[in-house]
Amino acid sequence: MTALRHTVSDERLLAYAAGGLSPPEAVVVAAHLSFRPRTAAFARRLQALGGQVLRDLEPEPMGDNALAEVLARTEVDAGAARTPPPLNDMPQLPEPLRRLPLGPWRWMGPGVRVRDVHGPRDGACRVILLEIQPGRTTPRHTHGGVELTCVLTGAYATETERFEVGDMEEADHQTLHQPRVVSDEPCLCVAALDGQILLDGWLGKLLQPFVRM
Amino acid sequence: MYGHAAELQAERSPVSARMDEHARLIQAVALYRDRAAFSRLFEYFAPRLKAYLMRAGAPAGAAEDFAQDAMLTVWRKADLFDPSRAGAATWIFTIARNRRLDVLRREGRESALPDLDLTPDEPERPDDLLSEAEEAARLNEAMRQLSPDQMAVLRLAFFKGDAHSEIARALDLPLGTVKSRIRKAMIKLRLILEPTRGQE
Repeated sequence: MTALRHTVSDERLLAYAAGGLSPPEAVVVAAHLSFRPRTAAFARRLQALGGQVLRDLEPEPMGDNALAEVLARTEVDAGAARTPPPLNDMPQLPEPLRRLPLGPWRWMGPGVRVRDVHGPRDGACRVILLEIQPGRTTPRHTHGGVELTCVLTGAYATETERFEVGDMEEADHQTLHQPRVVSDEPCLCVAALDGQILLDGWLGKLLQPFVRM
Repeated sequence: MYGHAAELQAERSPVSARMDEHARLIQAVALYRDRAAFSRLFEYFAPRLKAYLMRAGAPAGAAEDFAQDAMLTVWRKADLFDPSRAGAATWIFTIARNRRLDVLRREGRESALPDLDLTPDEPERPDDLLSEAEEAARLNEAMRQLSPDQMAVLRLAFFKGDAHSEIARALDLPLGTVKSRIRKAMIKLRLILEPTRGQE
């Protein structure tokens, strides 16, 4: 059992509970927490701390009509039904990802494909699903910004470490990344990317013009 | 009318006896669409929600819109509130927290982003099940045991999220000190808040 390894850092977990992560990062952390019930429960307890912080705040006076405006909106709103967005076409995804719309799969090299997770964006930061076949690697690459990755199926290994289902990896722009799939099944990951991926090496240089990742 | 909330109070069960005033008001909104109860919630929470977003760096106008939107969500989702699972302030904080992610996307529409903990039937490990009252007692204990320095950095982290350099500037501390203070505070919080130790 390799518990609590490859999990979200305390600072990031706190920011997640506080609503202070960018939406793409929050999506990956939410996916990760669906595999880590104990950490998820701790995140909920941090929210109780948030409730206390909210109570303790010095109030900022609202405008005179603020309440009346909201009450008027509740009238209009009375019959509004809450319909959750439809489920997407990947039942193998954890619950936090099931209602996010997905783009088409795109080829990204031999045994590697990628599709956009639409919705959560923050400037250049966005979410993708990445599927790599057994034994394959992604082209060597570095990142413009932080990359958060959570393994959804299968397992991959980097130069130094191994990441299995539910594990989360934080890589920054210094990390030269060439994950290799070490599971018998394809490895499916959800990742938040900040900025363009820069491919490295002769294959990367060859692929870069064709690969939109 | 607010009479409904008083009714709820009158016929309270042992569980609701521990329920705070605000929790009763949310239930009155859920059960009777009680506008007077909602108004009382608004008077207490809207100015604090506005303050929360202003501390996070939003201008006053945007923070006021945010507080109004969050309170409208309180109205809409009041029936999802489960007082045995969360206190009123925690539940409203969670709405604000989910809402803040939407605001970041600069889009008005309801998003498909994963909302935290608004639904009462989220599966949980049995050993993590504590009543709201127990949770609240542990939280008070934890806040008592944190040093003022640790509490200050946690408070700011709730406003600033992962912008640790802003926290460092606000407290006039080196970045490394801020990060290590957050880590130490989190270790203490885990020790006190988690019902059992173990691996997952």
